[in-house]
Amino acid sequence: MEKCASKKKGVFDVSVLANEPIGECFYRLSLAVEGKAGEAFRTAKPGQFAEFELAGASLPSAEQTPNELADKALRQIILRRPFSFSDIEITGGKGKLEVLYCVLGSATLRTKTLTIGDKISLLGPLGNGFSIERGKTLAILVAGGMGIPPLLHLAKELSKSPNTKTIAFVGARSGSQLPCREIKNVKTFISTDDGSLGFKGFVTAMLKDWLIKEKPDASKTIIYTCGPEIMMAGVAKIAGEFGIGCQVSLERVMACGTGLCQGCAVKCIDKQTKETGYKLCCKDGPIFWADEVIF
Amino acid sequence: MNKVDLTIDFAGLKLKSPVFTASGTCGYADELDDFMDIGRLGGFITKSITIEKRDGNPVPRIVETNSGMLNAIGLANVGVEKFIAEKLPLLKNYKTPFFVNIAGKTIDEYIAVAEKLAQFEQIAGFELNISCPNVKKGGITFGTDPQLIHQITSAVKKAGGKKILITKLTPNVTDISITAKAAIEAGTDALSMINTFTAMVIDIETRKPVLANRTGGLSGPAIKPIAVYLVNKVYNEVAKSANVPILGGGGIRCASDAVEFLIAGATAVSIGTASFIYPDTAIKVIDGIEDYCRRHKVGKISELTGSLK
Repeated sequence: MEKCASKKKGVFDVSVLANEPIGECFYRLSLAVEGKAGEAFRTAKPGQFAEFELAGASLPSAEQTPNELADKALRQIILRRPFSFSDIEITGGKGKLEVLYCVLGSATLRTKTLTIGDKISLLGPLGNGFSIERGKTLAILVAGGMGIPPLLHLAKELSKSPNTKTIAFVGARSGSQLPCREIKNVKTFISTDDGSLGFKGFVTAMLKDWLIKEKPDASKTIIYTCGPEIMMAGVAKIAGEFGIGCQVSLERVMACGTGLCQGCAVKCIDKQTKETGYKLCCKDGPIFWADEVIF
Repeated sequence: MNKVDLTIDFAGLKLKSPVFTASGTCGYADELDDFMDIGRLGGFITKSITIEKRDGNPVPRIVETNSGMLNAIGLANVGVEKFIAEKLPLLKNYKTPFFVNIAGKTIDEYIAVAEKLAQFEQIAGFELNISCPNVKKGGITFGTDPQLIHQITSAVKKAGGKKILITKLTPNVTDISITAKAAIEAGTDALSMINTFTAMVIDIETRKPVLANRTGGLSGPAIKPIAVYLVNKVYNEVAKSANVPILGGGGIRCASDAVEFLIAGATAVSIGTASFIYPDTAIKVIDGIEDYCRRHKVGKISELTGSLK
């Protein structure tokens, strides 16, 4: 996978355009970018990310803090948090970044309180991003839960390649936890653990059934996946069985996102030498070829 | 506006500012290039280099704590040979003195790294990481035993020839002045203090430590007041009389934090964890120190060192 796609990374203050709930689980945060930030993010690829400084954002009031997060509200955060984008739309140096997030901890509790006009600091764009491979006529997106957002951005990019058909398999615990029920212009298959929407079961089972039935030409097919690591390991295994190339978007706890802290190690195997070693999720990833990762 | 002289004499080296980036938080320099002018730093300390390449610990290696973080990276580095071949040539591009942090499992490993690097002009000196376990002595940390500190400091000083030697002290001791004294008596040119505090975070759902290594080193704003105290203690009890400069650090996020360290007795300061949040923190600290000096009519930065009333 190539190195950082954008060379113009930096620290930028951007302002909040909107921050609203979508469905039961997700919120959509839209950020206005212009000037140097617009320039830096204009060429950002799907799967790249930015580190958000949220320590300065306020906490919700006690009444608005879910009970299960009351302890987390007491944590003083200092580190930035990495987020990928569900959409980036920048023309003429101005535009917006869109993030979909779930409120799960001390940083996202603060994210929830951001309102129109608030400024936050972004460090990015970081990482390598998905690579859109030539000669692929079928792109299969496999998303699980919170892994959906960067694949929405990728689907939009893929729609610019007229010779590539894109389909998507999207899994979640239940239908109400999905940020969307279909991806624009993409045939979308939904699975839920509880069967409340679409196929009842794991997204991997649905993917495998489809591959057995439809038998796509492996050499012209590519799988892109983002979701819980256990799900991606399953997708990687299936991709291997069918001989289909697969890119995975990994997540690690990161202190910096810029390669300084070396915290976000990913155990990989060199395909030629068979040597194993660590790569960094922030710099060498977060997108890896599935067959180089040791899950 | 009156001019502030930010230059310092650091163990005989004239440095253009009193601000360093701390080992393990600034990579090998190229990572920070996008964000700041490395040439403005007083010094740059690379991440730890060992004789052999090290992959480092399994993940999680990082966990955030209240106003701090724990890390247990496990000295992941390319190894001294690859450092010489691939990283060292890049250092020529920056006009700042480079210090290579050295780590090892035995005294011989430290000596071997220092010997291999001693010949390179682009290296101003070494920082000795003595917070590593000594495998030959049953895993006791070098930096907690005054005798071992004496041995390792004098051995690396000899192996490094004319290079400046900074010994980085661990705070995980009963009396840091004793370990500081051991390093000074063994001939260290400067002290760097402090390294991280050994700490643990437990996942109460699984009842397991969060870090794969079980324990990690606590850094960040949470440790700053302790670090300031320890710098002041070592300055008063040993360093001042021995005329050995202290590179002080631990949780510095801004210029006022840095000025506290200088007043406590540090000749220079190092920026660590804060670079993870704002990669150009060191530059902002340099500018902020200059502003402070103007406001307080301090003409030369060294006037601040040990000026605690």
